Amino acid sequence: MGNFLKLIAFMALSMAMLYARAADTGAEILDPWVQAAPPSVKVLAAYMEIKNNGKKPLHLVSITSSDFGQVEIHRSVMHGNMVHMEQQKELVVPPNGSVTLKPGESHLMLMKPRKTLNSGDKVPMVLFFKNGEKISIAATVRSGQAEEASARQHGDHSGHKGH
Amino acid sequence: MSKSGKWKLALLLAIALTITAFAAWKMSRDQVVRAPADIEDYLFWQARELTEFKLSAADKAVGLNGLKGKWSFILFGYTYCPDVCPVTLSTLGRAFKILEANPDAAPEIQGIFISVDPKRDTPQLLKEYATYFNKKFTGVTGSTAELDAFSRQMSVMYTIQAKEPGKADDNYLVSHNSTIFVVDPQGRIYGRFPPPQTPEEIAEIFLKMRAFYNETGKKRWGIF
Repeated sequence: MGNFLKLIAFMALSMAMLYARAADTGAEILDPWVQAAPPSVKVLAAYMEIKNNGKKPLHLVSITSSDFGQVEIHRSVMHGNMVHMEQQKELVVPPNGSVTLKPGESHLMLMKPRKTLNSGDKVPMVLFFKNGEKISIAATVRSGQAEEASARQHGDHSGHKGH
Repeated sequence: MSKSGKWKLALLLAIALTITAFAAWKMSRDQVVRAPADIEDYLFWQARELTEFKLSAADKAVGLNGLKGKWSFILFGYTYCPDVCPVTLSTLGRAFKILEANPDAAPEIQGIFISVDPKRDTPQLLKEYATYFNKKFTGVTGSTAELDAFSRQMSVMYTIQAKEPGKADDNYLVSHNSTIFVVDPQGRIYGRFPPPQTPEEIAEIFLKMRAFYNETGKKRWGIF
């Protein structure tokens, strides 16, 4: 009986998520990933491309993740060889454009981890936009973009991840 | 040929020989002093000797002796740095992997990650953090005074930014240099890789740096 209820709940949740996706007209998230780090690390970074297919600018204002107590939008700033991070209130994606969060630039800072993450794990996140739109994603934990890029050049071994 | 003609010829030959010898000497001397153009930008104008310092790894103290006899790649950061530090460390880790293919250079290299945030980063945590990216990395930190002293020697700056109001006590940001410094086996600051770095660039330039170092060492003995 317990299992049956779980199944019903799962189906309801899946349908709700499908509905949420179908209702999304503006935002599209491509290749979300989290920089792999040693298990004891308390702060991680997530990267992705945010596409805006709509006619109005999209403002990413907040992010939640069941794996982390707090998620903030940050940007690494270089002056000379010095680097520091700055918290951003929001991230604006122009109409019919996209913004790429990538190492050394804008990223989502994942803080207060609730569990240890290993390469290959999926981090669920919900992105909230100013216009009320929200989108659920799962970011894959992996090490380095460069490594991925060179792996792709030699034929993608990671397998295709369907949506 | 007349007698004075022979003398003139001998004199001319002597002058030509002197010029050639001088040019050859000057060229060989220039080779000792001047680095090849492709590594010039990565080398310090003059290798500068470090003086004694003290930092702490999980299982040992690290000082000047820990650098001697090895090529050390030194970088600064902190583990609460999720963006730039893992990128720099994994770049250097991949450069070390490329260098593994060189049986002469591979045993001579080590990486030292210096956390400028001793309040949150313990030597034990840093050991796990650094070795995650490469087995040849050592994670170290020290007291504020020890870190300040070593940073001054390396001519790098770092700042712990003031905590923002409304944020937790352990939620503050750090500003640091993201250059990878190269210290030679004599314990001298020899070269640097400013950001952004690539593994291929580091491996290739380092091998040239090392060759230049070995060559200039020999030549100096040969000439003087």
